[in-house]
Amino acid sequence: MLHAVYNSAIPNVFTSLVDRVLRSARSFRIVVPLSYLLLGMAFAAHAADWSGPEQQLARKIVAVTGPGAVTLTAENRSSLGKRDSEVIQNGLRSALGGLGIRFVNAEQAAATVVLSLSENQSSYVWVAQIRQGAGEAVVVMVSAPRPEGSTATHETVPLSLRKISLWTQDDAILDVAVLEENTVPTHIAVLDAEKVTLYRWQSGKWQQEQALGIVHARPWPRDLRGRLVPAKDHLFDAYLPGVVCRLAAGAPLTLNCRETDDPWPLVAAGLSGGNFSGFPGGGSTPTSVSPLGAFYASTRNFFTGVLTPGISKSTTVPKFYSAAFLPRDKYLLWLFASTDGHVRMVDGVSDQVARLDWGELASVKTACGAGWQVLAASSEGTGDSVHTYEFPDRDPVAVSAAIDFQGGAITALWTEAKGDTAIAVVRNRETRSYEAFRLAVVCSQ
Amino acid sequence: MKRFGWRWFVVNSMVVSVLVATSAANAETRPQYGGVLHVAMHASPTSLDPADRAQPESFARHSLTMLMFDTLVTVDENGHVQPSLATSWQALAGGQRGQLRIRRGVKFNDGTPLTPEIAASSLRAANPSWNVAADADSVVIDISDQNLLEQLALPRNAIAKRTADNRPIGTGPFHIVDWQPGKKLALAAEDNCWRGRPFLDAVEIEMGRGFREQMTALQLGKADLVEVAPEQTHRVSLDGRRLVSSNPIELWALVFTRAVASADEKLLRDALASSVERGSMRSVLLQGAGQPTASLLPNWMSGYGFVFPADADLTRARHAREQVRTIPTWTVGYDGTDLLARVLVERIALNAKDAGLWLQPTSTTKADLRLVRIPLVSSDPWIALAGVATLAGISAVKNPGGSVEDLYASENALLAMQRVIPLLHLPVSYASSPTLKNWGLRPDGSWALADAWLGIDKP
Repeated sequence: MLHAVYNSAIPNVFTSLVDRVLRSARSFRIVVPLSYLLLGMAFAAHAADWSGPEQQLARKIVAVTGPGAVTLTAENRSSLGKRDSEVIQNGLRSALGGLGIRFVNAEQAAATVVLSLSENQSSYVWVAQIRQGAGEAVVVMVSAPRPEGSTATHETVPLSLRKISLWTQDDAILDVAVLEENTVPTHIAVLDAEKVTLYRWQSGKWQQEQALGIVHARPWPRDLRGRLVPAKDHLFDAYLPGVVCRLAAGAPLTLNCRETDDPWPLVAAGLSGGNFSGFPGGGSTPTSVSPLGAFYASTRNFFTGVLTPGISKSTTVPKFYSAAFLPRDKYLLWLFASTDGHVRMVDGVSDQVARLDWGELASVKTACGAGWQVLAASSEGTGDSVHTYEFPDRDPVAVSAAIDFQGGAITALWTEAKGDTAIAVVRNRETRSYEAFRLAVVCSQ
Repeated sequence: MKRFGWRWFVVNSMVVSVLVATSAANAETRPQYGGVLHVAMHASPTSLDPADRAQPESFARHSLTMLMFDTLVTVDENGHVQPSLATSWQALAGGQRGQLRIRRGVKFNDGTPLTPEIAASSLRAANPSWNVAADADSVVIDISDQNLLEQLALPRNAIAKRTADNRPIGTGPFHIVDWQPGKKLALAAEDNCWRGRPFLDAVEIEMGRGFREQMTALQLGKADLVEVAPEQTHRVSLDGRRLVSSNPIELWALVFTRAVASADEKLLRDALASSVERGSMRSVLLQGAGQPTASLLPNWMSGYGFVFPADADLTRARHAREQVRTIPTWTVGYDGTDLLARVLVERIALNAKDAGLWLQPTSTTKADLRLVRIPLVSSDPWIALAGVATLAGISAVKNPGGSVEDLYASENALLAMQRVIPLLHLPVSYASSPTLKNWGLRPDGSWALADAWLGIDKP
């Protein structure tokens, strides 16, 4: 149907203010658990408002039967739940009663009405088939808009690996950077294909501060990836395939993008240059974590394998999607999730291949276990999950139960700037929306 | 200082072997670039021009078109219109005219920029009756059809630039490398596709292959994606193969070649419609595939399809037939190359005989009525209904784009003409190799392969 006004250029991105507010209420899942409850109440309130189509259908039925004695039966042929179905039936009975209909049993009825709660791809369709005497049934119907998507709830998180929801939106999230936090994040930057958007937690909700467009001359590759990397002399850099954007502080903030194949940093800013021991309490010698960059293929979704400055004398590894490292005694063990599905373990001297079938990788430094863990995404059955592993030697040891993402696909897993947590972006297969989580390893007793 | 827990370590070392062994069967959370996808199909199109009306409508044709071309807008699985080559749109002149702004920076596969002029020319070629013009950064279409956007999402309205020798070139994710009409099509990834280069390097499509031949090719690893005949879907799923089916988007129906000529004929057509045992056709002949129907539109599309009773009513059929003195013998045509069609027609003739009617199956082109498969060309119910009406030789649906009750009234009116006796709504089904990932079907039943990729073969 041709709408009477211009739609937005990309409706999912630039929605009207009203729509944006509604969308906020519908899909933004915030850290504070209370918001789940509030959102749930909002949904319940929204879902319960069927009075318009009830009144409309009641008028259509009475236009056929006139006031009088009617028997009404109902069946639910739609995806509506039992509760909604009952609410609608009761609402319709009430509306019909207000228009002079009395409900009697079939023997006493002048008309029988069979109500079917059905649906098509975009709407609920409520159909009333009305029979009076032996004649053909008269069919009347109304449609009611069906809310998009579903309100998928998430199970409680395991104790040892915890996920905290940061942000949800319809457009693909490439990365989220937490710029400030108190006990929970209060200022975040969200990177997507076309912009970096800054949000601040104010008055109990996320409020957009600024959206800064990303300028790029060439079309992005499919399975676009990007990363936000905090910088020392400016707020942060956004790395995208063939493009790096620098966000300079000041008022207003400016995002300057340039076409470049500069390597992407593989070591989180908070870990780079530090001295760390692989086994706290284990007596090992602290190891210096040197910065390492990798060149990204600007028209693909992987790193080319060229490293700078390299791991000892190794400056190339096979093409890879993701990398993580673990400090060992006097050296770093790097793990690369290669595009061939294998994990390569490189320490500058040896290069071992393990058939681990991991997807995305991220290192985290914690106060638990060996002090360093690798988070690894894998695809199991209907959805992706993340496990936490340690490497006492060269074999991984699972040290936490997996976090499942309820049928969602993990599209990004990056170590956060401080190095002790990671950001996971998950695409919900049902709602098609993207949700960014902070993953934190929590010490068990 | 906390000591390293050896007991904890040993226990978890035992756990890991299980976890790692489990994960070895899975992985690949990231799409992979590269590889050649091999597809087999039954249809043998001789033209790739989306606007070529000489080619019959088919899901295969839609699929091919959308590999090489883009439409101005698309319709998502919720029936909502989404931007594609057009970024925005508005109605002008009180809804008598539609204006669509063309996306900037898009190039055809030969490097030519997409312009409003080329888009307008393409739409005129596909719709000679439309008045389409370029206007600055937009195309303007003089048409009062409330379903204009849904019309523009149809593959036949895909935007094509025509070369001097009238070859169509698109803006889609793949471009043609080799085209042997009706036999083979080889496509290569378009590196500069405005939506991003597809993951696959190439797609090779073998045409004119029977369903059995296609399944053999899949089993031998010579094809990655094949069509599955409706009656084979149950068996294919039992074999553990990956099977993807659309919503029921194909109507199988008996279509009379002429309008009702008398009151007697009206009664006899009613008798025939009431005599057909659609349920047993589905359960026995189609092995459980499809949905018996007495409506033109499937319920998922209209929301009211159940209102039309699909069960056989032999009492009603006999009652109608008994009111007519002279019973003619009707010839029922079917596609002679389609074994299933022949079996279905023979079953219909038996049902009719039980009601006292006489049907003579024939594979010749001349017949009183025919068993036809009608692809529902759009998930928009108004366009789908108009498509059925056109194929049945009935004048176009009036006042498209109204409420669901208007739609019901239009469908009811079409059925009341008794030119079409709906039998079944069937999905289109495909089987794929385990290495083919992230592919699916659009709401219109065509393949969505631009985001598909080939995984690593597990030994």
